[in-house]
Formats: sequence, C-alpha cells, structure tokens
Amino acid sequence: MARFFRRKKYCRFTAEGITEIDYKDLNLLKAYVSESGKIVPSRITGTKAKYQRQLATAIKRARFLALLPYTDQH
Amino acid sequence: MRHYEVVFLVHPDQSEQVPAMIERYRSGIESKGGAIHRLEDWGRRQLAYPINKIHKAHYVLMNIECDGEALSELESAFRFNDAVLRNMVIRREEAITEVSHLAKSQDEDESSSRKRDDDDDDDDDESSDSDDSTEGEAEQSKELTED
Repeated sequence: MARFFRRKKYCRFTAEGITEIDYKDLNLLKAYVSESGKIVPSRITGTKAKYQRQLATAIKRARFLALLPYTDQH
Repeated sequence: MRHYEVVFLVHPDQSEQVPAMIERYRSGIESKGGAIHRLEDWGRRQLAYPINKIHKAHYVLMNIECDGEALSELESAFRFNDAVLRNMVIRREEAITEVSHLAKSQDEDESSSRKRDDDDDDDDDESSDSDDSTEGEAEQSKELTED
C-alpha cells in the first residue's frame, strides 16, 4: 500500500502569535483563499476555530472593498 | 465617543477632488469634537472585480473618533456623493495610528519603482488620452492611404 506522508498541519496564527487578523493584510489573506477565490476550510489549513472566524470576516471585508475577488469569474 | 475605521472608494475620474473631500470630512468631524487618528491615501488601485463597470478606484482610509451624530453625517455625505463608489465603516476598540499593511506594501512598491514614476507621473493621464487620439488618427490616415 502506498501511503502518503502527510505533513503536520498547524495554525499559523497561534504559532506566530498574531492576535488580530486585519482585512488590509492582503498577502496574509491570499494564502487562505483558493485559486477560485473561495475561503480554504480550516480542516485543510489547520487554523484554529477562533482564527478561522476572524479570517472569514477579514476576507469578506476585503472582498467588499474589491481588494480580493469573490470568484475568478468576474 | 467611539472609534471607527472608515474606508471609501472614489471614482478615478474624481481623484483630484479627494484632498478636498478629506478636508471637508475632517472639518465636519472636528467641528463635532471628533478627531482623525490615522489618514491614509492608498491612491488609485486596481479593483479585484469591476464595480459599476469601473476597474480602478481611489482608496482612502481614515481612523476616526467621533460620536454617532458626526458619523451619520459622514455616512449621508458618502451616500449623496456620486463620486464615492463604496464605503465601509467598522467599529474599533481603540485609536489605531500605525501604518497599515496595505500602505506599507504600497510604499515598498513605490520606492522600488520611484524613478520610473517620477519621470512619467505627471503626464500619465493626458498622454494616454492623447496617445489614443493620435493612434486613432494614425489608423485613419493609414486607411485613407490604403484607399
């Protein structure tokens, strides 16, 4: 059986001590949206629930201000 | 008095009016005893998706401290100003004065391409317009010669 070696997921925000996720920090947010513009679920990224909620609001704010796309089909 | 973070997008054609608009909002807020703690002009940015068939907009960020009356005045000013494409107001817990990530990253971009910008910044808009017209004329003249 071919078994894949899976790297341990970890929450970047807990590890780096980021307490507040800012909607203006586009480089950070871009790491948590897929190519099609969807928010990547925490079960994939390993983000803690507390930060995933903050991340979701931050991404939605950035989308409203046209800093991030809602979809890749605009 | 509460702290708010305000971002608004101005139509790129009305970019020149932005300093005057900021000044108007500032006097409106300060006359009611409020204060502006942070003011950032992000300049004209490419939008992630078109709004009202416009692809660029002038972004302004303000962190203000004011009462509800001044804020509702500001919001109605946004609503009745056709140049403001979109605006967002967020409640904040305290005054934020440090430079935002976006402005920081933009500064880096600018400093790396500062020389280029300085050379063609002033005549950018005009030249692009005139370029279009001259191209059009050139094309027309070509067509004429072909005929």
